[in-house]
Amino acid sequence: MKMPSPSRNGSTKAGDWRSYERVLLPPVRDLHRFDVYVKHGGYKALRAVLTHNRKWAPGKVTEAVKASGLRGRGGAGFPTGLKWSFMPPIDPGTPRYIACNGDESEPGTFKDRQLMEYNPHLIFEGILIAARAMQIDATYLYIRGEYADWIRHMEHELAKLYMEGYVGKRILGTDFSSDIIIHKGAGAYICGEETSLLESVEGKRAYPRIKPPFPAQKGLWGRPTTVNNVETLACTPLIVNRGAEWFAGIGPEKHPGPVLYGMSGHVERPGVYEYPTGMLITDLIEEVAGGVRGGKKLKAIVPGGASVPVLRADMIDGVTMDTESLREAGSMMGTAGMLVMDEDTDMVKFLRRVTRFYHHESCGQCTPCREGTGWIENLVTRIDEGEGTLRDLDILLDLCDQMEGRTVCALADAAAWPVRNTIQRFREEFEAKCRQSIYAMA
Amino acid sequence: MPAKHIRDGVIYAATHVPTMSKITIDNKEYAFQGQPKLLQFCLDRGVELPHFCYHPALSIPANCRQCLVEVGMPIRDRETGEIARNDNGEPVIRWMPKLDTSCSVDMADGMVVRTHRTSEQVERAQQDNLEFLLINHPLDCPICDQAGHCPLQNQTYKYGPEGSRFEFLKVRKPKKVVLGPRVMLDGERCINCTRCTRFTDEVSKSHQLTIIERGVKNYPMTAPGEVFDEPYSMNVIDICPVGALTSIDFRFRARIWEMSSAPSITVTNAKGANCAYWVRDNLVLRITPRANPHINEYWLPDEDRAAYPRFNEHRPGGPRVRIAGELKSVGWEAAYARVSELLGSVEGSNVLFLGSPYATVEDNYLLGKLAASVGAPAPVYIPHVEPGAGDGWLITDDKTPNAEGCRRLGIHPVDPALVHARLEADEIAAVYVLEDDPVASGLFRAVDVQDIPVILHTYHTTNETIAVADVVLPAAMVVETVGTYVSADGYAQRVWPAKAIVGVNRTLRMEMGVSRPDSHGTPFDRWHNASNRVNCKPSWEILPAVARSMGLQSDDASPGAIMQEIAHTIGAFEGAAYESMGAHGVRLAEIGATV
Ligand SMILES: Cc1cc2nc3c(=O)[nH]c(=O)nc-3n(C[C@H](O)[C@H](O)[C@H](O)COP(=O)(O)O)c2cc1C
Ligand code: SF4
Ligand code: SF4
Ligand code: FES
Repeated sequence: MKMPSPSRNGSTKAGDWRSYERVLLPPVRDLHRFDVYVKHGGYKALRAVLTHNRKWAPGKVTEAVKASGLRGRGGAGFPTGLKWSFMPPIDPGTPRYIACNGDESEPGTFKDRQLMEYNPHLIFEGILIAARAMQIDATYLYIRGEYADWIRHMEHELAKLYMEGYVGKRILGTDFSSDIIIHKGAGAYICGEETSLLESVEGKRAYPRIKPPFPAQKGLWGRPTTVNNVETLACTPLIVNRGAEWFAGIGPEKHPGPVLYGMSGHVERPGVYEYPTGMLITDLIEEVAGGVRGGKKLKAIVPGGASVPVLRADMIDGVTMDTESLREAGSMMGTAGMLVMDEDTDMVKFLRRVTRFYHHESCGQCTPCREGTGWIENLVTRIDEGEGTLRDLDILLDLCDQMEGRTVCALADAAAWPVRNTIQRFREEFEAKCRQSIYAMA
Repeated sequence: MPAKHIRDGVIYAATHVPTMSKITIDNKEYAFQGQPKLLQFCLDRGVELPHFCYHPALSIPANCRQCLVEVGMPIRDRETGEIARNDNGEPVIRWMPKLDTSCSVDMADGMVVRTHRTSEQVERAQQDNLEFLLINHPLDCPICDQAGHCPLQNQTYKYGPEGSRFEFLKVRKPKKVVLGPRVMLDGERCINCTRCTRFTDEVSKSHQLTIIERGVKNYPMTAPGEVFDEPYSMNVIDICPVGALTSIDFRFRARIWEMSSAPSITVTNAKGANCAYWVRDNLVLRITPRANPHINEYWLPDEDRAAYPRFNEHRPGGPRVRIAGELKSVGWEAAYARVSELLGSVEGSNVLFLGSPYATVEDNYLLGKLAASVGAPAPVYIPHVEPGAGDGWLITDDKTPNAEGCRRLGIHPVDPALVHARLEADEIAAVYVLEDDPVASGLFRAVDVQDIPVILHTYHTTNETIAVADVVLPAAMVVETVGTYVSADGYAQRVWPAKAIVGVNRTLRMEMGVSRPDSHGTPFDRWHNASNRVNCKPSWEILPAVARSMGLQSDDASPGAIMQEIAHTIGAFEGAAYESMGAHGVRLAEIGATV
């Protein structure tokens, strides 16, 4: 495979993205099969890490991941190498775990599925490299239950790996042993929240835990645990094979690397596209996804899954898909699952659907989230049905204040942000619906 | 070994001088040691903070979000560790960006805290949270058992918003759900604090309850086909901060403000678990636990609570004397005269005195004195032990509350074979029984004693020994008396009267005045009336009267004075006094009592 040129054409931080060569989802037929993957250089990184004891001592792998600038692809964008370094020193007799997060339930997000379907061994290899780096005894790969086909497929490939000695006892004849266990979800968005996921793996009701203690201190069964997204770990074989510098050279400096953009909504060619981080939003919509459907005008986008703030079409000029640029624009990178909405979109209806999701998915542990998400959906529904009042808008914004930052996990924040931002950024649409209502004067 | 003492959950050896840390709460400084949790620390010092999910005996999930406070730490120089100070020399505080749940905050030296007393932000957050808690709550307080002692009701009153802005249908959830034989759930009242499920997971470890559904539809439930029937199930009713979990037996029986509650102990077994007896119109309506960190913490077995009818049902109506083969009701003086007559007609050394592990230390002691003054051998008692019935926790094999007290008085378990032999040999000329039922217990058959006088102190008319008794003296039960019980673990605990009996006893009236105004009402409220009073007397009043009627010297003494006498004369009670027992009892071994 040829390395993509790190040169920049000045128009975008993603460099010359048109000639970018895919590395997470390379165009290789049947790459999902063990033999094909191995034939195309698969598990080379793992072999290197396990055998070049000096070059790739465990601490050096973590150093490389740090130097690569890789940030988590699960939504929060936390620097991965730094997270790994939070693991406490080895204590013989205390098992250590990875929980690999493939719960992928954020609305508008379907990129991990693409990896599981087309390049599952990159995930396994990434897990094993991380396992080596952090001296992990076992990894629980938590996969969204609705992904039944891919779970079956991955279990099949994992069985092969065990047979071929790539996982389990004395991997590849070395003295390193580590297990991978695939754990099915059962249809709850909250199980993707890292501590909730841990509870779920432990067989408990998936109520998120209070932090501290963080998973690195007390994770699965109270043992040191690192939680990483599927795509995040899939990046590590690339870093080992091609070097941290190469990785750091892709996309913007503070948020580099290849990333899977999930394009959905009113675009001509929805789908998952691999490109460097830092793509211009406009390029993604116009060039990559074929433009807004039916030649319509763009109205709004949600850049990274339903939880991140919505941007109006007039807010995205020159904005690129990375933490810094999106923060300045008033949103976040999230999962890079971009929702595109055309000029005909009813933003009240959009928000109604989003609030319904959070109402349905709140685990119900914390009072503000349990009660607030339902109340919010009631209010937005009432406005959408033409029975709202202007006061309802004030109450909605109030409820966001009452929920944000006052709960155990970030779901309440994720539920409040779209409400606050959609109302603030499309207030006239909401007011118009309220004014038409029979209670307009109230 | 150096003495140990527990403070804020941290055990210190007395020799070790712990470093003191400081915390500032609402501009007031407090010293502390170790790393206590902020909420518990505040509660211990009377700084009230609203809360629902926190319970001192359970893990801390911080899920109700009611106990929010502002928390800050002084900024320290990275290198020197010096606290940064402003121009006035005050430490510069870095406030946490979000409010924190005080229940889960570990206190640290220099920490600064603002509660609703000094922070509008906190005050507002508490109001907001209560508004949320109430939107889907049915607000059916007028028909809810919890009303009147409901943490949600009380805290809404103190910290809640004026009204509600919620204008939608409330969430519907299952109501009147029979979780098990003793506990019923109203799903709509539940505020999802998970205290009940944490109790079954962490304390009783039955794991019978879990939360089912998701989000606003959540409520606690058993696994399909499972029944919530563990022996400690009713504790979840007490810890539920709303009326979601109610007692199937007690629900809708009485409003909380119609009852008085008196501190006492349960007498179902030898554990001496602390409880409150809830009384209306001189009927005990329910029994709930009273916290005692050394004995039962916050808990009570269901079996202890189920025992309340015994204080109301089959109670006798005054003394009776057998005349021409028939038991006839008589006055107390006439009954004493008959006892004196019967005892006077036999050789004192041939009277069998049966003490009672159901009766108080004071009663048993006075029985011993009576036995000694007529020249009889020391009393013995009938043990009521069911091997295997205990669980190593709050249920013991011994089904009586005071066997240990008897033992310490020198009253030992009876030897049935010996009694039998002596009866056969006509060596027993009369039997004097403090509360017990030797016939039903099988110590002897009715025919064995039908030709000799039997004098019986009894709590119930169902006592089978009544059939052969010549004098029946109704005795006051634990809920009507004052006295001491010694638990199997050696805790001496005194009780207070919870309900009134017929007749006037100054000590009882005074003690009642002390016990009943504790949490609900005074002796002069309307429930302190003439109905349902049992015509009985405490044995510590009966026994001296019997002695006097026999011409023996015996002064009336209050149980407190009797205990003083016991402490002076019996090594196994040395140092015991009502003052030292207080409300939570005292371990006799710790105050220097021998044995
Ligand atoms: C409500 C909620 C749902 C989440 N769902 C997912 C998910 O489905 N997949 C995922 O990778 N991360 C999810 N996250 C983020 C995880 O908590 C965690 O940050 C992430 O898995 C860490 O991996 P990373 O550092 O590799 O991004 C979710 C977070 C929240 C608050
Ligand atoms: S914020 Fe919502 S989803 Fe998260 S723990 Fe609390 S109730 Fe559950
Ligand atoms: S039933 Fe009561 S104790 Fe149990 S979760 Fe609900 S409110 Fe809490
Ligand atoms: S008491 Fe419930 S969150 Fe602190």
